[in-house]
Amino acid sequence: MAQFSRRGVVKGVAGLAGAATFGFPQIWIKNSGLARAAGGEIKVGVLYSLTGTTAIIETSLNQATLMAIEEINAAGGVNGRKLVPVVEDPASDPATFAEKARKLVIGEKCVSVFGSYTSASRKAVLPIFERYHNLYWYPTLYEGRECSMNVIYTGAVPNQQQRDFVPWLVKNFGKRFYLIGSNYIYPKEENNVCKILLQKLGGEVVGEEYVPLGHSEFSSVIEKFKNTKPNVIFSTVVGDSVVALHRQYKAAGLDPAKMPMASLTTSEEEVRAMGGEFALGHFTSAPYFMSYESPENAKFVAAIQSKYGKNAVTNFVSEPAYFQVHLFAQAAAKLAGSDLTPPTIREAAWGQEYKAPEGLVKIDGQNSHTYLWPKIGEAQMNGQFKIIEQSKEWVEPDPYWAYPGQVCTPKGMVEKKA
Amino acid sequence: MEGQHKHPIWAKLVGYAAFCVVILILPLFITDDYLLNKLARYLVFGLVAMALSISWGYAGILNLGQAVSFGLGSYCMAMALKLRTIPIQTGAEGLPDFMVWNNVKSLPWFWEPFHSYGFAIAAGVLVPTILALLIGTFVFRARVTGVYVSIITLALLVVINLVVIDRQRLTGGFNGLTDLAPLELFGLTFDPYAHATYYLIAVSLGAALFLGLAVVHSKTGLIMQAIRDDENRVRYFGYDVAAYQTFALCLSAAVAGFAGMLYTLVMAFASPTFLAVPVSLSIVIWSAVGGRASLLGSAMGAIIVTGVQGSLSDTPAFLETWTLIMGALFIIVVLFLPRGLISLVDRIPLGGSARRRAAAATGAASRSGINAG
Amino acid sequence: MTDIFNQVFSGLSIASILLLISLGLAIIYGTVGVINLAHGEFVMLGAYAVWFLEDHFGLGLFPCIVLAFFAVGTLGWVVERLIIRRLYGRVLDTILATWGLGVILQQAIRLSAGAELRYVQMPPGLSAAVHFAGVDVSAYRLFVLALTAILLAVTYVLIFRTRFGMRLRGVVQNPEIARCFGVNTSQIYAMTFAYGAGLAGIAGALVSPLKSVSPDMGTGYVVDAFMVVVVGGVQSLLGTVASAGIIGELSGGLAYLSNDTIAKAIVFLGVVVLIRFRPQGLFALRVRRG
Repeated sequence: MAQFSRRGVVKGVAGLAGAATFGFPQIWIKNSGLARAAGGEIKVGVLYSLTGTTAIIETSLNQATLMAIEEINAAGGVNGRKLVPVVEDPASDPATFAEKARKLVIGEKCVSVFGSYTSASRKAVLPIFERYHNLYWYPTLYEGRECSMNVIYTGAVPNQQQRDFVPWLVKNFGKRFYLIGSNYIYPKEENNVCKILLQKLGGEVVGEEYVPLGHSEFSSVIEKFKNTKPNVIFSTVVGDSVVALHRQYKAAGLDPAKMPMASLTTSEEEVRAMGGEFALGHFTSAPYFMSYESPENAKFVAAIQSKYGKNAVTNFVSEPAYFQVHLFAQAAAKLAGSDLTPPTIREAAWGQEYKAPEGLVKIDGQNSHTYLWPKIGEAQMNGQFKIIEQSKEWVEPDPYWAYPGQVCTPKGMVEKKA
Repeated sequence: MEGQHKHPIWAKLVGYAAFCVVILILPLFITDDYLLNKLARYLVFGLVAMALSISWGYAGILNLGQAVSFGLGSYCMAMALKLRTIPIQTGAEGLPDFMVWNNVKSLPWFWEPFHSYGFAIAAGVLVPTILALLIGTFVFRARVTGVYVSIITLALLVVINLVVIDRQRLTGGFNGLTDLAPLELFGLTFDPYAHATYYLIAVSLGAALFLGLAVVHSKTGLIMQAIRDDENRVRYFGYDVAAYQTFALCLSAAVAGFAGMLYTLVMAFASPTFLAVPVSLSIVIWSAVGGRASLLGSAMGAIIVTGVQGSLSDTPAFLETWTLIMGALFIIVVLFLPRGLISLVDRIPLGGSARRRAAAATGAASRSGINAG
Repeated sequence: MTDIFNQVFSGLSIASILLLISLGLAIIYGTVGVINLAHGEFVMLGAYAVWFLEDHFGLGLFPCIVLAFFAVGTLGWVVERLIIRRLYGRVLDTILATWGLGVILQQAIRLSAGAELRYVQMPPGLSAAVHFAGVDVSAYRLFVLALTAILLAVTYVLIFRTRFGMRLRGVVQNPEIARCFGVNTSQIYAMTFAYGAGLAGIAGALVSPLKSVSPDMGTGYVVDAFMVVVVGGVQSLLGTVASAGIIGELSGGLAYLSNDTIAKAIVFLGVVVLIRFRPQGLFALRVRRG
């Protein structure tokens, strides 16, 4: 781990530089390395945007996280110690994410931080967690190809969303795909994976296009749908653009029975905002749907709705945001009170299992990603998804799945010569 | 030119020097890495707001695309640091990780020279300056003024932001450039938490303030101010107005580009959000709150606004309402302190008369609202 | 042939939404001389007005449009009385104050109505496509187009055929002389600002079923609207219409040929070049240098 040695050198040099160049007495005292839980409380950071663009979704993650913390505390905490959430608002801005993460890690000495929705914000805070050996719990489905030992990833990676989905689409609708996504790394990487899959299946990409984030005018895109007549519109458009795309799709007279949208990013949250009639007949692949029937999910949905109103919905990001806190608590419970530091929590979290709303999940001991239960849902008039396919077993997370020879290990990514 | 030099120049120099001393000794009272980093970040904002004051406060050019210079500077530095990162995640030697993900096979030509720190640092200042030279020549030769200049710079900012996000293969796209090595120069390591980084920034800000002061009090600076007050009159005197305006824009861009480079050091990444509309507007707000026609005022405006913002949003009670409070504060400052917080300092009698200040505050006298000293 | 027709219609539909959003801004900037950065938030408030009325009182879209006009218009009037009135003659300062206002409105909505996306119903009769001249076009987009035309006509009549409009034009040409003739300029400014805000409210109400409703939906609209107003030329209704048409068709066409990112970049570069050579805009009647 290159990070370790680099950090030591950096600190030494920086201290020397301060003293040598300016001759000031070194009265500042460096924090001694690791965050450590002290006293009867365990401080954890909660870092989801409450203002700005992505507050649309991140407020629900904030709520699910705080609810899980309350549940844990109500059940007696972690070996009798209460979890104390330190909530910050990173305002949907990567720079503010970094500033608040520094506060939580260095200032507040939280032993773990739950946070982030976008990859950009995760990338912005990552150096802080690596440098201070802290632990970041990231609930969002993302593009994979990352292998940090300072992150626990509880959202789906491409193999968990696409492995079963793309063949299913080809079998049921046809081989001609139009790839449409928002213009950033997640859609581009998911589409890379989709293209690799389609190549194996003899499929064809008739169009690939990215719209600016926040885009809401899809008339030209829909014109292209009409002209290229794909069998499947493979969508990784995110946020409010999803709502605009679905509405304008139907208003333009397109028919989901002939040309369905197959999405990795459309959840109950967006469907509620667009209205069931516009989502009807389109498909989403995700490990969790609100309509999934399990005792754990019934309890989860009931708790969210009693706390945040009967119209509140759960989705495939808020569910991991919820269960990852329980995984954290289980890991922490395994440790002696005096030994509660981010690296020990990480070690304890590896292999940890939890009966989540979507099914039994497990954190992989090699790559710190999570075993999940892929499902395919068809959107219904009432805003819920009908689950029409479901993986028979949990699916192993493989962040480098589409790239043979690359494997994520506790030592970082390694290249295996084939 | 009414309202200028209300305070004698020595008073100004004392004020500027006092500010420099304060920011240089502050680290002695800070024991936390994170607070030092935060403070360094605010000082960078001070530098970029001060840069805007050169073009806006002194030459009357409201550049709504200030974030272009800031962002380009930031990317230049980040490119150099990115090339020095050990690519632990990719295994492909010498190629930044995101390029590997985007199936780029060899380093693009314009990345090559960034192997050299010298080139990167020069580029961080020169790229924004040259861009400002082009824009300035293009715009001012046609005698485009006022709000139209603002719209043009705003439109260019939007375009550049779109291009940077769209060309993910070359720029890192929406994620920006992350996982950077710390800057190592002259045997010092400038990483986000180092005192060396803080002092580099503090010294840069101090130097820029005095340099800026020298420029605005030079003959060139006086002509800039005359152009701000009445462009045509200066033209009738035979001065090349466009050249002076372009100079102001370039100087401002150079300082902003330098600030951008420092920002990369403080944040340890570069992001397209650094060259986006919200940052650009924030810079304008900082400068306006502090006092657009004062270099020190603008710098302090940035530090005060971001400081208040940071501590408000850090306070649990204001977690959700801090933006409301900030918005209200801006409106109040614009309405009641049109020349910014620095105009409060002008109330200290040091040669300026209270009556003149009162006159300047009323609508007629502050026709353009940019007459403060 | 149908392709071309489709494309023209899609450009026209983009243009109608652009015009809808920039009309209020054009009127405010052209007459009151205020750069209203909170315009996008006024649009957002219009959309939230519809959401609120639908959700709480079960009203349909049509009464909502009328109510959104009056609700946002009233707010505009209040804003003018409290803030804008103090900033006349300080064009650049209005940018700052209205930016602050936008921030406040956005967060106020986030706190009161929630941060999540909100659902606004598309009227059932208009949610499908209609067969028109050999192609399928969206009924709702046709409806927006028609309503935009009506609003434009109403605005034209208001400015050029009513006593209020005559006074307004007088105030724009020369406030001092208008005042000498007994025109209450302060009231004219307030009413104009309120009308412009009200139009933004209608725009928000009309786009909400086609797009999405969220607290920050306005930020994207305001920059686009500004480009339309500046290209068209300040104080020219015809200019604003032409400019919305050109920008709409151009964005639609370029996006069809390449993609939306490139289309937007090219259109904005075009705007820059145009301002350089015609700062007064395409159809300026008269320019106040500022």
